[in-house]
Amino acid sequence: MTDPYLRVENVVKKFGPFIALNGVNLEVYPGEVHALLGDNGAGKSTLIKTLAGVHRPTSGQLYIEGKPVDFRNPRDASDAGIGTVYQDLAVNQLMSVTRNFFMGRELKGPLGTLKMDVMDKIAHDEMLKIGIDFSDPTQAVGTMSGGQRQTLAIARAIYFGAKVLILDEPTSALGQKQQMEVLKTVKRVRKRGDIAIIFITHNEIHSQLVADRYTFLALGQVIGAGKAGELSHDEIRRLMAGGAEMKDLEGELAAI
Amino acid sequence: MSDRSEADRLAQESALARLVRRPEAGAFIVMIVVVTMITFASDFKAFNALGLKNNLAIIAQFGIIATGAALLMIGGEFDLSIGSMIGFAGMSMAMMLKWGLPFGLGEATPFLAFAITLAMTLSLGWLIGTIVVRSGLSSFIVSLAFLFFLRGTTEVSFRLINQSTQISGLPDFKEQSWVAWAFGGEMFGWVYDAWFALGGNINRRGEQWVDGFDARVLWWLIIAGVAYFVLSRTQLGNWIYATGDNKDSARANGVPVNRVKTSLFMFTAFCATIFAACQVFDTNTADAAKGNLMELNAIAIAVVGGTLMTGGFGSVIGVAFGAVTFGLVANAVFYIPWLDGSFYRVFVGVVLLAAVFANERIRKRITGGI
Repeated sequence: MTDPYLRVENVVKKFGPFIALNGVNLEVYPGEVHALLGDNGAGKSTLIKTLAGVHRPTSGQLYIEGKPVDFRNPRDASDAGIGTVYQDLAVNQLMSVTRNFFMGRELKGPLGTLKMDVMDKIAHDEMLKIGIDFSDPTQAVGTMSGGQRQTLAIARAIYFGAKVLILDEPTSALGQKQQMEVLKTVKRVRKRGDIAIIFITHNEIHSQLVADRYTFLALGQVIGAGKAGELSHDEIRRLMAGGAEMKDLEGELAAI
Repeated sequence: MSDRSEADRLAQESALARLVRRPEAGAFIVMIVVVTMITFASDFKAFNALGLKNNLAIIAQFGIIATGAALLMIGGEFDLSIGSMIGFAGMSMAMMLKWGLPFGLGEATPFLAFAITLAMTLSLGWLIGTIVVRSGLSSFIVSLAFLFFLRGTTEVSFRLINQSTQISGLPDFKEQSWVAWAFGGEMFGWVYDAWFALGGNINRRGEQWVDGFDARVLWWLIIAGVAYFVLSRTQLGNWIYATGDNKDSARANGVPVNRVKTSLFMFTAFCATIFAACQVFDTNTADAAKGNLMELNAIAIAVVGGTLMTGGFGSVIGVAFGAVTFGLVANAVFYIPWLDGSFYRVFVGVVLLAAVFANERIRKRITGGI
């Protein structure tokens, strides 16, 4: 059994009187997809922002490879190998693929000049590795499909050293085919074996297609966790809905 | 199941199609049309030895401030204080040259007058930028406040110290000071020497007519060249694009958005100061009204050059084409006797509107909007 790359221990996050996270535990292993599921308001966003260094936990501890860490800002988290791909992807539409790929971390020659050829090649190769063959790295990102942009953001996070890749609802706001493209990308990254993926979603079907491990959040607490083989489809559906029996909800719906 | 992938939907374009799609393509076409029209309408006078010098003088003036305005717009902000900054910088330099350094520190050399003025204008640019990025207010309103504040300060200072809003009859510093010469002197004399040697450039007495271009032409070429290089080839350029396109995603990727914006405000202040220095040392005069409306000319030229109002996209080369176009039309009245000078503003209005529509089309095509 390998050790978890990232371990979250009893993390509590309060915003004033509001308890967003109430003692969350989570273990993330390299080469695995860890699905983080929960309804709106369950605390998924707060949890990932805590992992990404945006929020500091009120109490509790994060461990990277067994060592306690304290992220004061997003830079700390990204230095520790946590790459977050937010829903808006943080890409700029008017800029080219390469310029987006290296945004903020450009490769510089003398006088701060860009090594455009080298950067073009790296952007192309890195995206090819996880599934997109880009003929033209000067293409503006605005002309790319949602799935391609997702791939760009993921390839960028990996290239800049992400050991834990946090994907925030990567399949929402995409069409059917695009969703499958993203899931394929997720599986390709998983296959590398050295990267842990936290896959946030509220689509249990997508999570079942790629996840090795599940954690369910509801009202800021973990209400269930387990490995892919250990949870039945109905159990996953039940936990997704925050622990309520889906049959009851369907019954209530029918009664109106 | 088809074999087509997403990437196949991007049609391969010919080199010509790519050229036409460049942001400066529209500005280039307009420039060619204007150059052709003015050449014939002026009976070639606009491009004789003196015409070329005078035209390039105003083209360079426009080009200097429009380059600054364009870079700032690509970075996502406006600066309406450029015109007032020109007046302020001109006043500051002329006043020091006439009345000596502040606090009775003695005579001002052209170098000291320029250096102290530049320090002040850069600080003002920094202040405007800092207010914009710290407050999150629209740069339109912050720089509008400085438009009034600086023009008012210029006029008040002139009246208090100088008793008049004009200074004229300053000694000609160009002979003794290389700084004054670098701003107000004549450059590229060899072009006109060569022209004379080849049998042109002759005045009525049969002597050489024009000796060189105004120094501001060289300043324009330097500023535009550096701006082009920075924007397209350097890390800072990528940061400027990223900041103007979407500052939140730029920030999320580690781009120092606030520093980029503040530096760009300082750059427009720098361009305004160069504009003013060239004017002061060329004519040895200053006037509180100098630079009036120049901020709007600069923005109009930037837009005609293909810069997007919303930021993140633009071209220094397009802005140079725009400056040539606007400069020629502004000067056209001197070469075409029947032309009413106000046609310049009619022209600006029409071209500006057309350019905004054209730019909007480019933006939508890139971002995939309809």
